[in-house]
Amino acid sequence: MSIVKCSHCHLEFEEKVMIKESQNPELNFCCNGCQGVYHLLKDDGLDSFYDKMGNNSIAPPIAVDQDSTNFDMESFGKRYIKINKDGFSSVDLIIEGIHCAACIWLNEKVLNTTDGIVDASINFTNNKAKIVWDEDTIKLSEIINKIRSIGYNAYPYDRTVSEKKATANKKDYFIRMSIAVFASMNIMMIGVAKYTGFFTGMDDEMLRMIHMAEFIFSTPVLFYSGWIFFRGAYYGLKNKIVNMDFLVATGATLTYIYSLYVLFGGAGHSYFDSVAMIITFVLVGKYLEVLGKKSAVDTMDKIKSQIPLEATIIQDGGKKVVSLDEIKIDDIVEVKNGEKASVDGIVISGNSSFDESSISGESLPVSKKVGDKIYSGTINTSDVIRYKAVKDYANSTLNTIVELLEETLNSKPNIENQANELSKHFSLTILTVALISFFGWYFYEGDFESSLIITISVIVIACPCALALATPIASLIGISWLSREGLLFKEAKFLEVFAKANTVVLDKTGTITHGKLSVTNINMEDLSDIELNLLYSLCDSSTHPVSIGVKNYLEKNYSSLHHLDLENIEQLPSLGIKASYQDICLFGGRADDNIEHENTVYQFLLNDKLLATFELEDTLKEDAVDTIKYLQGQNIDVIMCSGDNEKIVSKIASQVGIKEYKSKMSPIAKAQYIKELKESGKIVVMAGDGVNDAIALSSADISISMGNGADISIAVSDVVILNDKLEGIAKSFYISKRTYKFIKQNLGISLVYNIITIPIAIAGFVIPLVAALSMSLSSLLVVGNSMRIKNKDIKYGDKK
Amino acid sequence: MNGILWLELTVGIIVSFTLLGIFIWGAKQGQFDDGKKMMGGLLNDSTEDLQDAVKKDEKVKAMKEKKALKKKENQ
Repeated sequence: MSIVKCSHCHLEFEEKVMIKESQNPELNFCCNGCQGVYHLLKDDGLDSFYDKMGNNSIAPPIAVDQDSTNFDMESFGKRYIKINKDGFSSVDLIIEGIHCAACIWLNEKVLNTTDGIVDASINFTNNKAKIVWDEDTIKLSEIINKIRSIGYNAYPYDRTVSEKKATANKKDYFIRMSIAVFASMNIMMIGVAKYTGFFTGMDDEMLRMIHMAEFIFSTPVLFYSGWIFFRGAYYGLKNKIVNMDFLVATGATLTYIYSLYVLFGGAGHSYFDSVAMIITFVLVGKYLEVLGKKSAVDTMDKIKSQIPLEATIIQDGGKKVVSLDEIKIDDIVEVKNGEKASVDGIVISGNSSFDESSISGESLPVSKKVGDKIYSGTINTSDVIRYKAVKDYANSTLNTIVELLEETLNSKPNIENQANELSKHFSLTILTVALISFFGWYFYEGDFESSLIITISVIVIACPCALALATPIASLIGISWLSREGLLFKEAKFLEVFAKANTVVLDKTGTITHGKLSVTNINMEDLSDIELNLLYSLCDSSTHPVSIGVKNYLEKNYSSLHHLDLENIEQLPSLGIKASYQDICLFGGRADDNIEHENTVYQFLLNDKLLATFELEDTLKEDAVDTIKYLQGQNIDVIMCSGDNEKIVSKIASQVGIKEYKSKMSPIAKAQYIKELKESGKIVVMAGDGVNDAIALSSADISISMGNGADISIAVSDVVILNDKLEGIAKSFYISKRTYKFIKQNLGISLVYNIITIPIAIAGFVIPLVAALSMSLSSLLVVGNSMRIKNKDIKYGDKK
Repeated sequence: MNGILWLELTVGIIVSFTLLGIFIWGAKQGQFDDGKKMMGGLLNDSTEDLQDAVKKDEKVKAMKEKKALKKKENQ
């Protein structure tokens, strides 16, 4: 069976499921959406999009049934639309479906060539867009429809104070770091001349020239780029803490002052190069921290953009659209097909089914009748329903989840606090040792200059460059190795936590299993060709996972299937599908709704006569058993957590060899369970893929999401397994442990270096130049050792 | 000899700081805010896109003039 690429989205599918168009070259589309967008772009002369896209793939266009007129409502305008000084309207949006630079190009091109749009600019890194338009020429709903027509979707978001602050902070650090890097690179080039001159000989005038150039380049580094260290040291001292900033600021300033003294007449060597290097190295590390914080803010904005804007309530016999904050307890809320419930409540009229995957993890829609509970954030997938609010928005499930996520995202970097604590002691010790050396030598010899030189040597030689490099260099090599294996670690610090982890919590659907139903048991009478084709056509009329599972089974086992034109097709929420063909009445689904089966059941009835029963089951990922066996072999506790019922969860657990499992877990219960594990001293790795896993993921020490998981879970997770294979967890463990071993070796090297060199410096045998050189040598040792990490093939269990 | 080196050094420092100034100006204008887009943009740059940028400038100018005129009429 040949695999072909969709001409629009470039995803690969089996040839027989594709929609074909006989052209030269032949076109293949995986769905009508892709076909529609392809022709739209072609007709509008935008087909260069595909050249720009190259080999990248994108998600198929999202079929959006939502009405866009709410973007033109007054309440929306008040909250999201701003008027600029020229009188144009502007709105901040998050564009869903952006995958590559070509997506950005397409959206900007389409929007910027639309009449009435003044400017549309989209940020590729966080998918946030700012649209400026003339309200007299075009309405916002038309702009949204334009975005949807090319296969993307847009949500408004409130540009918060924290986002503005994070953006400004990032830009500030970027400029400071750029200046430091620019100056350091120039100083390094000048340094080549200087150090060559030391060995080959140069006159004083030449040396003064070099010192002058170094002075010019290092001054902005110390006072502009290094300003944040002075600020950090000041606030540290204000809180009676000697922090790393203080050591950096003191070391750099003392070196700078001494170098100034040398430049303007004193004897000796200047060390402006050390000043620039110290500041630059530490500043690059700080910039990465700032980037991490900015990405947490962007993640929260994406999550918040999923919250519905307003709700319809029934008041005085009529309907009224209100903002979520205006909904009071006991208000009657109406939810139409495709809409999200905004507050928690109880159904008072209507029957429907709700997609609760975002709350409970239940993959199939849940039927709702009078008296049933509705949770905010769940989506109505069928008929209009009315329910009574039992909670206001602030206390509803959706808002609780959002607040919990905000809390966990902001309180993540525990390890940073530990590192700061350690560096605090290190800084204080070095500073004390340097001061003791100064006074010791001053009182012993009475020579201020030589005492100062020794003090600077101590500070420079102890400058924690090797210590600072020990972790990042090894991490960088480990991370690049991981990324080649399709394992994306969002931050290097997770390597260490991963290596120390002793508990792995796995979600079931999509993580251990494929999340796709397939037929495992069948009870079917001998069906005639027409009956078989009726069953096939009925299954093909529905996009429900159960119907797709049965359809796939039929396609695999019967070769001469063809479509029959069914009539009166009707979806029965949570039951199945009904249709007719000539005078035959067809039903496919679950005829007996009240019986709880161990597996999902699909029954096929013809004129109320049962002809076939299919049992469907989610299939295990091929590598699930091996991976879990490997983890258990490493003395790691493997626990399975799922929102599904006990029967299904225990069955899967026994199949993969997991002894400990939890069933019927809500997202909040999962998060709570992970917190309990952490409180009991465990270091927890959580792997999941659904929206419902997002809180639990953000509560774990390390969170892993599968590459095809929901956007939110990918956003909150620390590690993404791009190829969706469970063995990625085993590989992550192997590489993390190996990298961590080398990090410890590196730390050992730098420790031994400090133990040997600091006493020599204190004894006055080292001039600052040699101190700086030996500092570089220790860094080289650490780098060289780190290169050995990759000198081994991945081995875990029986796999190689 | 040293005089020439001093001159070279001075000119080199002035030129490099001027370039740094231009870079900082670009950074402050937001040109490097979106690293991914900047790199992607380099790959996709074409004369067609440059023409689009010119057309967009003209369109925006015309829209601003129209808006200002309307504002004046309303006053």
